[in-house]
Amino acid sequence: MFYDQVHFCCISDDVLVEEEQSTSVSLPSLMTPPSAAGMSLSVELTRKRKGSVDNQYVWDCLSDGEDQHVKVKCFREPHSQIEKRRRDKMNNLIDKLSAMIPTCNPMSRKLDKLTVLRMAVQHLKSLKGSASSFSEANYKPSFLPDEELKHLVLKAADGFLFVVGCDRGKIVFVSESVTKILNYSRAELIGQSLFDYIHPKDMGKVKEQLSASELYPRERLIDAKTGLQVQADLPIGAARLCSGARRSFFCRMKYNKISIKVEEKESQGNVSKKKESQKYCTVHCTGYMRSWPTSQLGAEGEGEVDKQESSHFSCLVAVGRVHNHSSPQVNGEVRVKPTEFITRYAMDGKFTFVDQRATTILGYLPQELLGTSCYEYFHQDDLPHLADRHRKVLRSKEKIETNCYKFKTKYGSFVTLQSQWFSFVNPWTKELEYIVSTNTVISYDPSRAGRSGNKSEQSSNPKASEDCKKSPPIIPGISSTPGTMIYAGSIGTQIANELLDFNRTNSSPSSGNVSPFSLPQDKSPQIHNQISNSVPNGETSDMEIPGKSSSESEPQGAAFSGGETLMGENSQLDLESVVGPGLNSLSSDEAAMAVIWSLLETDTNLGEAVDFEEMHWSL
Amino acid sequence: MTADKEKRRAISREAARRRRRVESDVFGDLSRLLPLQPSVRAHLDKPSVIRLTLSYIRMHTVLKENDGINAGSRHMITYQQAVEGGDEQSGCDGAQDEEEKDTEEFEASQETNMYLGILEGFVMVLSTEGDMIFLSDNVSKYMGLTQTELMGHNIFEYTHPCDHEEIRSNLRLTAEEVWYGEKRDFVMRIKSALTHRGRTANLKSATWKVLHCQGRAKVCVDPSAVSCLLLTCRPLPLSHTLLSRYTFTSQHSMDMRFTYCDQRVTSLLGYRPEELLGRSIYDLCHALDTSCLNKNHLNLCLKNQSVSGQYRMLVKGGGYVWVESHSAVIPSVRPSRSRPGIPQPLCILSVTYVLSGVEQPSLQLSLDQTIHRYLN
Repeated sequence: MFYDQVHFCCISDDVLVEEEQSTSVSLPSLMTPPSAAGMSLSVELTRKRKGSVDNQYVWDCLSDGEDQHVKVKCFREPHSQIEKRRRDKMNNLIDKLSAMIPTCNPMSRKLDKLTVLRMAVQHLKSLKGSASSFSEANYKPSFLPDEELKHLVLKAADGFLFVVGCDRGKIVFVSESVTKILNYSRAELIGQSLFDYIHPKDMGKVKEQLSASELYPRERLIDAKTGLQVQADLPIGAARLCSGARRSFFCRMKYNKISIKVEEKESQGNVSKKKESQKYCTVHCTGYMRSWPTSQLGAEGEGEVDKQESSHFSCLVAVGRVHNHSSPQVNGEVRVKPTEFITRYAMDGKFTFVDQRATTILGYLPQELLGTSCYEYFHQDDLPHLADRHRKVLRSKEKIETNCYKFKTKYGSFVTLQSQWFSFVNPWTKELEYIVSTNTVISYDPSRAGRSGNKSEQSSNPKASEDCKKSPPIIPGISSTPGTMIYAGSIGTQIANELLDFNRTNSSPSSGNVSPFSLPQDKSPQIHNQISNSVPNGETSDMEIPGKSSSESEPQGAAFSGGETLMGENSQLDLESVVGPGLNSLSSDEAAMAVIWSLLETDTNLGEAVDFEEMHWSL
Repeated sequence: MTADKEKRRAISREAARRRRRVESDVFGDLSRLLPLQPSVRAHLDKPSVIRLTLSYIRMHTVLKENDGINAGSRHMITYQQAVEGGDEQSGCDGAQDEEEKDTEEFEASQETNMYLGILEGFVMVLSTEGDMIFLSDNVSKYMGLTQTELMGHNIFEYTHPCDHEEIRSNLRLTAEEVWYGEKRDFVMRIKSALTHRGRTANLKSATWKVLHCQGRAKVCVDPSAVSCLLLTCRPLPLSHTLLSRYTFTSQHSMDMRFTYCDQRVTSLLGYRPEELLGRSIYDLCHALDTSCLNKNHLNLCLKNQSVSGQYRMLVKGGGYVWVESHSAVIPSVRPSRSRPGIPQPLCILSVTYVLSGVEQPSLQLSLDQTIHRYLN
């Protein structure tokens, strides 16, 4: 069989080989072992841009016990096709060129190739005329004058470059971009000691980082691919610096408050809450140690010549970047506002992590909450709907919104919260690690919290007596035989046990090598697909709440409007969403492993197989 | 075939030859206007000439936007220096002589080299369609392909198919970014023509290299201008030089549970290595960093190498430190034709840099921290 314009990749041990020519080779049949253990998967990925395409890939991933790779070569491409592709490519390039040339643009009709080229020549000539020095005799011709490249680089990095001498911390060099970041000019900084600009408490640490390696003679190189030490310990020699030894550390640097503003970048600096008037921002410094000959530093470095040393002195060459405490992510960003705090629950609802912001809102220190069940703090009237959400979140990949509910503070009063829960699962095992809860304060004022349960809010009666006053709410699934007191903590445990039992009975036995791609095992017939959006405030579809209703006349509407946009999103990046639709069609563990292996096969530097047990770590 | 037809054929052949000659001449003119080494110029084919011309023009447009900002900041510095009385900077006062200009260029290149040295990588400017408009010339050191070979080509031709979706989403520019200059930080696999020993091989026998790309989107509202991504790209190193005191190494199973940790963790985080075995890294991180570690884990599963960015690890008994982890997946035994067998377990090797001191040591945030306190 022949395929036109199809290229096959040969996947051999270490190498991704691509064949683009039109050699025709006899084709062994594509192997599709029908055994259950193996599955042949062919994922064709063609990337067509406008015009012709240089490379098309077809990945052949096979997995069976014998680990065969099919080498494929099968097509014959007519010469005319190759020619056509070449022409298309050229035409595509010409089109792009004419789009970029100002004189070509206004033309209504498409210009012929030669004219476009001629206009390009003219355009280049005009650009060169106005540009700064370009390919001067002394300098290697480059596409970008160094000055421009420098700006480009620092713009991309959003940091400043600095060089400090190791012995006294003298700032030998600092780039212009420091002005944007620390609001000091180069002139102010060059020649000064770095330590004048470091927070007092960080000085010791920075000193340590700057000190030459005689204090830390045991520099080791570890090959990340094999885990083995690849270089013996370096000799202790004061003169010998391990050049290339990387440094990476945070320190707080002074930040000039003078009102000359360059950009709003200053607002990114993290301001410490110290009482002193000096402001600091946290800077992440990464770089390496080096011996730098003074002669190369030109005008900036002349302050540093130390007559005792030779023309070399050791220094730290580093880039400083302002560190924002919330690491921004492209997806799944957790934005925490001042009236929010984050908690983590174990599967049964016990607190395993409490953000320190909780203290100002709830009154408890984190350690007072840790280990206790969240149900002990929920208002009784909210227990049913929260239990329902708890069930939902354990069975869903999505973010689950709660209604507003009351949470008992340390002082006995209640604050009204609204939370967003999602189950964080381990990307590899797909098992639940914990439930992450982002909690927003709706209202602090207990008197505005609603009419129900007023009396109990004010008092600090133990739960038992509260239960005596009202008949216990009926929570589906939670055993409530007559005469039993419902202890709040047990609600969470029961819900967790439900899930465990369900999984135990329904899931297939899993081996140690759990597949990362197996579908989540929530085949539960329950309502987990109905997101709480469809549930009217204060009620759930299968609840019976005797006595007073739990619906408060609270500003629940407000809470929901914020929540709706988040509904239905996957709360967490997982392998399927990142890799794309192709892998979603996989349905067997073996196929999943096959893909992983094929991805690994084409990696560079896999080198020799290393027996895991034989790895040793000398210290 | 009549003589007439023959004649017409000959004329058209001659015309075609003339056209091709003229075309070649124009291509020659164009290539001579490009800032290339003569040896490189001689070997360029026609599509490459156009490619590089496009890059030249596009970069010029990109930089045109920068000029306003750069000139402005240079003026700022001059003013400030005048106020403070400093005078080290030659400034932008228009009366620069050639020598000063040369020095400036020289220093700029020094600075750039320093920066690229720290970065251990190269600079890439990507159009919103993925064309590599510009690459710094040290790209050959990392990819084995030169600047002129690569510039103008599309990134999708050189990167792993499974990463294309992620690259595309990073190339997308949204309306908000016009004002905020949104940051980019992602990992992708790119072809490298370097062999294990650092020699350049043919692209046909390329291997994958994992590249960490960081930078920002630059949005140009002017229609003739080019919106693009400015990125610094760093191949994730496969070997690390450790400064004894502030780093530790660890091994994990693929679900990120510790299977080994070296002794230095004790002085940094308080835990003895034995206490960490079997524990998941997700238990030991601050709740706000869960998504950061999740992304890191996914990169490891898919691309075999990752760098985590900065996150917080909880210290035993209370408080936390900021750390950054560099990790790679190691397959312990690879089955091959000669050694068939089922795949052996993979594991993850991490080198973690501790960046800060212990912050808020008396603050206990996790259940684990309270337990340890009571047990001590």
